[in-house]
Amino acid sequence: MTKTVILVQTIVGGLGIGSIYALVALGYSMVYRSMGLVNFAHGSIYMIGTYFGVIFYKGMVAGLHLPYWAAFIVGILLTAILGVALERLFRPLANLDLMLMLLGTIGVGIMLDNLAIIIWGAEGFAVRSPLSSKPILVGGVALVPQMLLIIGVGTVLMVGLQTFLSRTKVGKAMRAAAQDREIASTMGIPVNFTNAVTFAIGSGLAAAAGILAAPIVYVNPAMSAAVGIKGFAAAILGGLGSIPGAIVGGLLFGVIEAISAGYISSAYTKGIAFIIMVLVLMIKPSGIVGETTVEKV
Amino acid sequence: MLLEIQNLTMQFGGLVAVNDVSLNIQEGEIHALIGPNGSGKTTIFNVVSGYYKPTQGVVRFRGKQISGLPSYKITAMGVARTFQNLRLFSSMTVMENVLVALGHHAKTRFWQHVLDPFSVRREEEELKEKALQMLRIMKIDQYADEQATSLPYGLQRRVEIARALATEPTLVLLDEPAAGLNEAETAELRDMLLEIRHSGITIFLVEHDMKLVMEISDVVSVLDYGKKIAEGSCSAVSCDPVVIEAYLGREEE
Amino acid sequence: MKTRTTLWKTIALIAFLALLLAVPKIARNDYQVRILNMTGLYILLSLGLNIAQGFCGQINLAIGAFWAIGAYTAALLNVNFKWPFWLTLPAAMVVAALVAAVVALPSLKVRSHYLAIVTLGLGEVINIILVNEEQITRGAMGIPNIKRPSFFGIPINSEQRYFYLVLAFVILGYLVARQITRHRFGRAFRAVRDDYVAAKAMGVNTGFYQILAITISGVYAGVAGVLFAHLNTYISPDIFEFRSTLFVLTMTLVGGMGNLLGSVVGGVLVILQEVLRTFRDWQLVFYGLAVVLVVLFFPGGAVGIARRWRERQGARRAREEEANTVANPPSEEAR
Repeated sequence: MTKTVILVQTIVGGLGIGSIYALVALGYSMVYRSMGLVNFAHGSIYMIGTYFGVIFYKGMVAGLHLPYWAAFIVGILLTAILGVALERLFRPLANLDLMLMLLGTIGVGIMLDNLAIIIWGAEGFAVRSPLSSKPILVGGVALVPQMLLIIGVGTVLMVGLQTFLSRTKVGKAMRAAAQDREIASTMGIPVNFTNAVTFAIGSGLAAAAGILAAPIVYVNPAMSAAVGIKGFAAAILGGLGSIPGAIVGGLLFGVIEAISAGYISSAYTKGIAFIIMVLVLMIKPSGIVGETTVEKV
Repeated sequence: MLLEIQNLTMQFGGLVAVNDVSLNIQEGEIHALIGPNGSGKTTIFNVVSGYYKPTQGVVRFRGKQISGLPSYKITAMGVARTFQNLRLFSSMTVMENVLVALGHHAKTRFWQHVLDPFSVRREEEELKEKALQMLRIMKIDQYADEQATSLPYGLQRRVEIARALATEPTLVLLDEPAAGLNEAETAELRDMLLEIRHSGITIFLVEHDMKLVMEISDVVSVLDYGKKIAEGSCSAVSCDPVVIEAYLGREEE
Repeated sequence: MKTRTTLWKTIALIAFLALLLAVPKIARNDYQVRILNMTGLYILLSLGLNIAQGFCGQINLAIGAFWAIGAYTAALLNVNFKWPFWLTLPAAMVVAALVAAVVALPSLKVRSHYLAIVTLGLGEVINIILVNEEQITRGAMGIPNIKRPSFFGIPINSEQRYFYLVLAFVILGYLVARQITRHRFGRAFRAVRDDYVAAKAMGVNTGFYQILAITISGVYAGVAGVLFAHLNTYISPDIFEFRSTLFVLTMTLVGGMGNLLGSVVGGVLVILQEVLRTFRDWQLVFYGLAVVLVVLFFPGGAVGIARRWRERQGARRAREEEANTVANPPSEEAR
């Protein structure tokens, strides 16, 4: 295998994982932008969303065995509903001091994680890809079909989100509410409704990410911590609150991890990604795409 | 010349808040900076006190360049300020707010705070004495142990000024000290400002209360849309048609 | 009136100390004393966190990593170079302080959410290094055979004796923290937390104090690390994972962030967690629920509740006295 082939494979893998991170990061940034809330339970939502989809795919619910695409949609919908419920719960946390917000959402996350353990057990299971596990060869480069599925569906979702926000009425209302809650409210935009939609979409995207990732990673409740922290780091890297930032941050984080794992050291993968994040923030404290706001004195 | 602002321009992205302003303040004078809202007055204060770095231009204090230095260094050199929207330390009492500003007086080092409680306690007593003196000047010593932010607005303003004075400045920048004060309180403020000047401190003042400005200022500079449009004694400026135009034009909005 | 409450306070304090000294005798077995020892260590961690975060407002999610640094420094020096406890202690404090100072540097450029993830990330990096540099740290296998300390020839080789050592450090740590936060440095920290723009304008070198506060938290965590290493005689990376940072955060919050007594009271949480251990999975669900309830309804923690209760008592007493002096002429009232 030539060097270019390895590089391309590594980058494709990175974009795959990066798409997962990006979808999760979108949840963090969207909710932060519209509610001012950093939701540290988002990792748990990702994990539960994965379970919601996978249990139907594996026939664990009353023997009901859904095809992958159907389980995908069901999982997203169920998680979106969970998101709406959580938005209601999190409303009082949004205006608190950061430390309280952090611990409050983490508390909910811990509850969700352990409820998942109680319901589904801590061991977890493997999930088979709906596509063949044999890599496709494209010009000498071996590409895992599930990876391509992740990147493909991920891109569709991200583009879909952008379109939704810029073209539809609800989407535009959400953007208006995100920019200035009070003004939007006086203009008749139901801010509580748009917040609920934001949470629903953020949670749904996280579920999508998890269900897409399920055949590649091992599905168990520990997923929430692993991806939760990295998803947040990716959102911050791109600029917390920025939608393009979440996408850029997520993809970049994934690619950095893949390159570190492939070329430097697989053990230090996570560490290198974090260090790069810290360095970027030291140079541009508001993140790659983030807006530098000057505090009014 | 105590403070020299030379060709100062301050630009935020596409917005030019301060446009090529030059201004000198002599030692011992009370210099007022007036102008309609948004004309760049507070921005100039922010540059002088070190919160912003000028896009272009230089600020000199006693001949030494201070633009570009961090705020705390500028304060140590003798330039203090108050804020338009009060920025008192919300968790502290009035006394504690002033004690923070007196920190530059302290001689104890960190290790003494761990190992030498007696020197620390002694220093603490000295600092508290000094702080009380400052509070007496502003006539708020009886509130020393009250939560600073629990006081009525007029008294909070005085704490803000007392705090700035505690840094023992040569020049103090007062950002709308009369904002929100009634007539009686403004008159008291006027007397306090004159006393402050009498004690040797130069005052650079941003203010909307024209009566106060006319009563105490030696020199008035007028800003409009970031540019200096007039400067001189009170009477000269108040008769200047350009100034009247700027104000009247705004009042119509 | 004031001298009477001071008298009561002193009596209570002495009684409390006497009780503490008797604890190892009262406790039924070594395991219970171990819980108390761990409580002491967590109190030290919480004191450090409180200074950095409660007083100075600098979010520090790396405190678990600082704890690890202290423990690993002590362990490596003891096992590889035969350094005794009384040498590993200052060494670990210095190393932990240096590491904390480096981790503190980003605080000059970023704040709140960004600082949170930066300290979290750097803490994670430290843990990853400890796990992976197997040549030095033996990685996930951990470091065994750390020697117990001895005090002027008396070996501190029982859980009970160790209790007195931990108690001494906790009391010392508390007193030092009080000295620091009571005077000039405490005020500077709080100024940075309350309004760092105003702090700068008042001549406070905010960057210096931010780094100092986080470094102090590193020193406290370092001490806790040394104490743990020599107590447990075995350390491994999983003890110091992010979960431990979360726990220190929670106990400080529940006890009262920004108040040193809160750190001490928060220690109760360690004991509580032990008690609830029998509930296994549901334990953590309740734990999460408790955190949420505290955040929503008691953000000031136990200390905050106590303060509000006292204020309400004071207000009620003032109203009663006022009503009484109106109804009756001034005379001696029986309580």
